[in-house]
Amino acid sequence: MATNKQEYLQTVLETHRMSHVEDLVNKFKSKRDEVKDALTSHYGSQIYSPFDSGSFKKHTAINTKFDLDVVVPVKRDSFDTLDKMFDSFYDFLSDEFGENATVRKQTVSIGIIFEEDSDGDVISLDIVPGRELSQDQYSNDKKLNLFVSSDYGIFSSSTYIQTNIQAQIDHIKAKDNERKIIRLLKIWNNNDGKEFKSFLLELITIKAFDTEDISGNLWEKLQQVMTYIKDNVTNDSFKLIDPGNSNNDLMDTLTSWGRTNLSSRMGTMLDRIESNSDNIKGYFPTNSDFEEEDKSSSSGYGVKTGAAAFSTPPDNQRFG
Amino acid sequence: MRFFNKHRNVELIISQELIDEIGIVGVEHFPNEFGGFLTGRYSDDYNTLFINDFVLPKASKGSRFQFVRRSKGMKKFFRKLFQSKKEYYVGEWHTHPNGSTQFSSTDLNAMMEIESAPSVKIKNPVLLILSVTNKKLDNATFYIYDNKKLLPYE
Ligand SMILES: [Zn+2]
Repeated sequence: MATNKQEYLQTVLETHRMSHVEDLVNKFKSKRDEVKDALTSHYGSQIYSPFDSGSFKKHTAINTKFDLDVVVPVKRDSFDTLDKMFDSFYDFLSDEFGENATVRKQTVSIGIIFEEDSDGDVISLDIVPGRELSQDQYSNDKKLNLFVSSDYGIFSSSTYIQTNIQAQIDHIKAKDNERKIIRLLKIWNNNDGKEFKSFLLELITIKAFDTEDISGNLWEKLQQVMTYIKDNVTNDSFKLIDPGNSNNDLMDTLTSWGRTNLSSRMGTMLDRIESNSDNIKGYFPTNSDFEEEDKSSSSGYGVKTGAAAFSTPPDNQRFG
Repeated sequence: MRFFNKHRNVELIISQELIDEIGIVGVEHFPNEFGGFLTGRYSDDYNTLFINDFVLPKASKGSRFQFVRRSKGMKKFFRKLFQSKKEYYVGEWHTHPNGSTQFSSTDLNAMMEIESAPSVKIKNPVLLILSVTNKKLDNATFYIYDNKKLLPYE
């Protein structure tokens, strides 16, 4: 039976909606606040206010994979070197949370993975310390230097990267159409080898929308973005500039084989979905945890669980 | 009048007078599309819907083939309706001038968005489509929205 691709993709997004995991999200948020409070009281005037980043903040999260990052801007004069800053944060977080969490050093962040709670949920947070380039400069332009643990791939030669996380967050602000496509591509990537960075998929989607006239329904938009990726990533001059650092081209994180692979994966998907619309289901699976069961047998008017109050219909509805 | 939907095994009850009243408003806006909200209540067993009134949007824009309605600023209205009469929003209505009562894909998409809105607590809003001419109401069809489908009542 043929699949209505537009309707199907709506269902895919629906079943990956964050609101399905509201309780879990609330647990993440309360742990995050706990960690922020501990950092603020420990470091005091050595740091600026910690702020949230990650897919949750950017509204590109999917409920099978999402991260809550906390960025801690550190004043220039607080630490002599970036690795001292990084070690200080690692030591403090280990002392403070190590008893019921695993605290570990990651590429540019310190990961805190709390022990499973009574519901079986595991809460993990990434804390990203970043030092301003010179004393008091952060308040002007939000630029930070991040320490990079040396044994990580492409950054192996450097020990820090300059970035502007606020600019990265702003880059995706108020882009609802782009976010839907980013979520779909993340769902695909997550389900199909996890070979590509979410950030790369995010930047390439935004670039497609900026460069091409991406329009139509959800499937048509996805199809156009995938075609754009297929046609462009093998081109040597194709760049994806990090909005947080114009010297950082995300395409550099792909080898030439990686570029060819990404292009041909897009091509194959487009061809196979074209030849049989049912194939879309294999690439963009629904999250079966939140699939509405077939209600053909059920009867009566339905009310959403836990809801007793009145409804207010959403604004701006278009009928034809 | 009593309508029945086999798919969810539910009834819909509305007076002929009310349908006629809605029709008059629709004819007044001919040749443009027009519409608004439906209010009422479910029976205690949730098998019967009583539609008791229709509500005009505070702001809307209709043309020959399209109708956009706002609901901004109406939360208070729906709250009062609930508090004073225990009635609530149950669905939408709009006209198809010189057209059939068949829903369009735009209509289905709107109903999908409505059902998925967090401010909407019901899972099966109804859609009433009225075909009108410059003189009169020709025909009216109720649909129940269920799981990304619109299914007519008979
Ligand atoms: Zn219509």
